[in-house]
Amino acid sequence: MPALRGSLTYARFFVEGELPEDFQDRSMRAIRLRAMKPLEPDEEALERSGWCAIGEPFELELGHENVFYNEFVNLGFRTDRWVIPGPMMRAKMKEAEAAYLQKKGREKLSKREKTELKELVAKKLRKQLSPSMSVVDLSWSLNDGIVRFFSLSPRKAALMMELFQKCFPVKLVPEAPYTLAARLGLSKAEERTWEELTPTLLGIGDLA
Amino acid sequence: MQLLDRIEARRFVGREFLLFLWFESELFEGTLSTVAHGSFGFWIERRIVLSAGKEVTQIKGAYPAGSREAKESLQRGKLPELAGIHVSLREHEMNFVLKADTLALSGLSLAAVLDGGAEEEGAGLPPAELLGPPQRKKKGPARGESDAAHEAFYDRMQRTRELEELLEALYRDFLALRLGPAWEAFVEPMLKTWCAGDEGTELDSDAYREKREHALGGKKRR
Repeated sequence: MPALRGSLTYARFFVEGELPEDFQDRSMRAIRLRAMKPLEPDEEALERSGWCAIGEPFELELGHENVFYNEFVNLGFRTDRWVIPGPMMRAKMKEAEAAYLQKKGREKLSKREKTELKELVAKKLRKQLSPSMSVVDLSWSLNDGIVRFFSLSPRKAALMMELFQKCFPVKLVPEAPYTLAARLGLSKAEERTWEELTPTLLGIGDLA
Repeated sequence: MQLLDRIEARRFVGREFLLFLWFESELFEGTLSTVAHGSFGFWIERRIVLSAGKEVTQIKGAYPAGSREAKESLQRGKLPELAGIHVSLREHEMNFVLKADTLALSGLSLAAVLDGGAEEEGAGLPPAELLGPPQRKKKGPARGESDAAHEAFYDRMQRTRELEELLEALYRDFLALRLGPAWEAFVEPMLKTWCAGDEGTELDSDAYREKREHALGGKKRR
């Protein structure tokens, strides 16, 4: 739970857009709608993301009291994914192929049969396994217009941004030298230089 | 140009910013300042990674930026990609890694000195058993636990925000120099002399400071 204890590793996102007056009520409805729904072995989806309570990945019943911490919106961004170990999949597939061929009295499977069999085997294995779960804390400071996302994984950040922007009527802009400069504000003269800025050459290297 | 293209096209500014912080912290012997914060300790420690394309140099040690290899990497055209940084601001000691391309922080520890004794980050937190591990439960934590966890969270966010404000102030000063006439007039030449690191070449930090203050509006810094 990096937001709550331990050392902090995070990326910042700047929030652009005005919040509606009934933001808290609207947000709670949107958050509940996109609370994590755990994966089921029989369904098609192999991966799903959703919100949980910050620091409590199994707490999926979200209420005002475990989301709004005064001026902060705190959430856990949970992603579940089916991961079947390769050797296990190969072994079970081999067994299933042999049984199928024996039943049909044939020597070879068609490509389509192989794909269907693989899906059946995967579904069966999923019933014996649990999805892998990852959770990243997220803290939105409403006063500062900053979201702190406690992971530096670009993939997780992209998934989070997608869910976040479905949930809240604002835009998220990732922090970078460019976006921070825009947020801090440049004068007209600085903006002109900024638009045409080129790297400083220290004049002694051969790699840059 | 799309926002993402603009972001990518200016990634190098983050590396120049980190280089500038390294340069000034060395020039001013580990004490930087901003108008809003006054003087504070700021130096590179533990680790620095310099790169250009696929060429990467990683240096570890108590003061990695002071090694000959670090300066040689600069001379070969590499720029700092990330660095371990120590900040000593009022009663707070903070360590973290600054990633130049994104300006993201990692491994930020917020050790504080309270009541005259050094306390580790998280000293104000409730006992671990109050915070976790996560449990399946319908009801939320007891009120006392919840209040303590919330207080700990606010404290951490407050200190994190203070550090972010400090870094933003440093970045704003850097941009003012980088995007103004000061860069070509005296910052870049001084930076090149520092990078070259010729023995016997004295860097006039007082003269630099004076010009810097003038360029940033004549306000007293350092």
